[in-house]
Amino acid sequence: MKKKVDLLPYFLVSPLIIFIICLALTPAVFTTIAAFFKVQPLNPPTHFSGLENFRDILHNAEVRSSLGNTFLYIIIGVTLSTVLGIFFAVVLQRRFTGRSILIAVLILPWALPGVVEGILWTGIWDANTGVLNSVLKSLHVIDHYQVFLGQNKFLTILAIEVVQVWQITPLSTILILAVLQNIPDDLYEAATIDGSDAKKSFLHITMPLIRPGIAIAVVQAIIATLNIFDQPYILNGAASTGNSLAMETYAVSFTNLNFGQGYALSLLITLFTLFTSVVIAKFIYKKVEY
Amino acid sequence: MKFGNKSFRRFGVGFILSWSLIPIYWVINTSFQTDAQISDTPSHLLPPTPGWANYKALLIGDGELPSLVRRSVINIFIECIAATAITVILASLAAYAFARMEFKGRKFFLFVVVMTMAFPTYTTLIPMYRIMAMLHLVNTYLGIILCYVSGFLPLATWILFSYMQSLPAAIEEAGSVDGASRMQVFRLIVLPLTMPAIASTAVITFLFAWAQFIFPLVLASDQSTQPLTVIVAAIQGRHVVPYSLLSTAGVIALSVPAVIALLTNRFIVSGLINGSVK
Repeated sequence: MKKKVDLLPYFLVSPLIIFIICLALTPAVFTTIAAFFKVQPLNPPTHFSGLENFRDILHNAEVRSSLGNTFLYIIIGVTLSTVLGIFFAVVLQRRFTGRSILIAVLILPWALPGVVEGILWTGIWDANTGVLNSVLKSLHVIDHYQVFLGQNKFLTILAIEVVQVWQITPLSTILILAVLQNIPDDLYEAATIDGSDAKKSFLHITMPLIRPGIAIAVVQAIIATLNIFDQPYILNGAASTGNSLAMETYAVSFTNLNFGQGYALSLLITLFTLFTSVVIAKFIYKKVEY
Repeated sequence: MKFGNKSFRRFGVGFILSWSLIPIYWVINTSFQTDAQISDTPSHLLPPTPGWANYKALLIGDGELPSLVRRSVINIFIECIAATAITVILASLAAYAFARMEFKGRKFFLFVVVMTMAFPTYTTLIPMYRIMAMLHLVNTYLGIILCYVSGFLPLATWILFSYMQSLPAAIEEAGSVDGASRMQVFRLIVLPLTMPAIASTAVITFLFAWAQFIFPLVLASDQSTQPLTVIVAAIQGRHVVPYSLLSTAGVIALSVPAVIALLTNRFIVSGLINGSVK
């Protein structure tokens, strides 16, 4: 008997594949090609323009400053979320009463929309009514209310990025905790018998063994910070003090209606994301053996 | 093990609680104050005259603002529930094929799924808008839902695939010996066993959908389909709206995901771990 091709698996995966082809791969290919065309709905016709979009975009002062800003967002965001993630994971390493409630509370910021988080933190950072100003003044750290957002560039970016760190740290914690819980207790016990103290055990057992967890946490933090949009959009509006690359892509495409440059910028962000993720993953991610 | 000692843990627990809860507490606190009270120095740690005035102003009555907010609440539920249902159904079918069947191209398709998971939002944003405009799906529920489903399907498939793969093959073999078809095995054996992962996927997809902002901002330019997140941002953009109302809108928008996260955190944690292991 001749064996027929089994069609059932193709039937089952076809909706998924159709979705991916139509609404992920086609747009991605489209972005890649259109980045080399002049596409301006208000200024037709569309025509091939080679590297012109890339040249224009890299000479655009706003884009350049957003590039620098995004770099700061990434550095601050990745560092803070990873350090806090390790700290939180170590706190949650052993079982204790209330641990599961603590994990539920920890997850909360991750579950909230970025837009809402922007509003939450407006209540903290605000120059006239913010609680941070109120607390600092009551403690006599400052004499009068300070402006955190929109004036000093570094302070603005730091304040905005803290909001994103608040959102992404839970995921970092969970990813690191998952690896941390696989470390056998015997290792710590043996180390203690050999005279190791808490600090040494942390540096020589915990840190090397959680590297794979840290690698995944760092990659997700890079992707998130590189694409930061909601938080600066809400906290700082159209002010250019802390503009991110993603906001600039949006502005170039939908405010200036220069889609060609928007595609070029999107393509650069995509390539940069894929490249950094792979490099970082290779660099930190190494299989560990107990 | 000194690192598990009491004072370190106490400090850590206190830190995590304040870090996660203070910003949420503060927005709830201001949502029960008047604007004059919010502007007082020092700030009130508790609402001096708590009442529902802000909530009534945003949700009840025929004014422009309350009808806008009510509409967007309905919209966000329609979009999130539809996107979640479609994503979970399509992802579990595909995951079953990937986890339990041998077919040509299986590895390649799986690779494509993982690759699309790594795409940043902005790769697809502008062309997605133009595709939807071409299909006349801008300002329709269908446009937004299709866009969400395409965004969430790869991760959902991956979570369900890794879970189904970990199920022992023996259980299904017993089923097929009894003469059940593969789809009966799927419905009667695999699906019930996969329930925890399906719950994870559904919760995570729903929360992602609820949090969407830039896609609906682009794909919904009028109020008929704009979800709550877009309306909250629009309220914030009009500078005449006071922070009392803004924080109230924030509390309304965070209440649903916060309750879901608190109730289903186990499923979220296991789903996130399943989804990340490569």
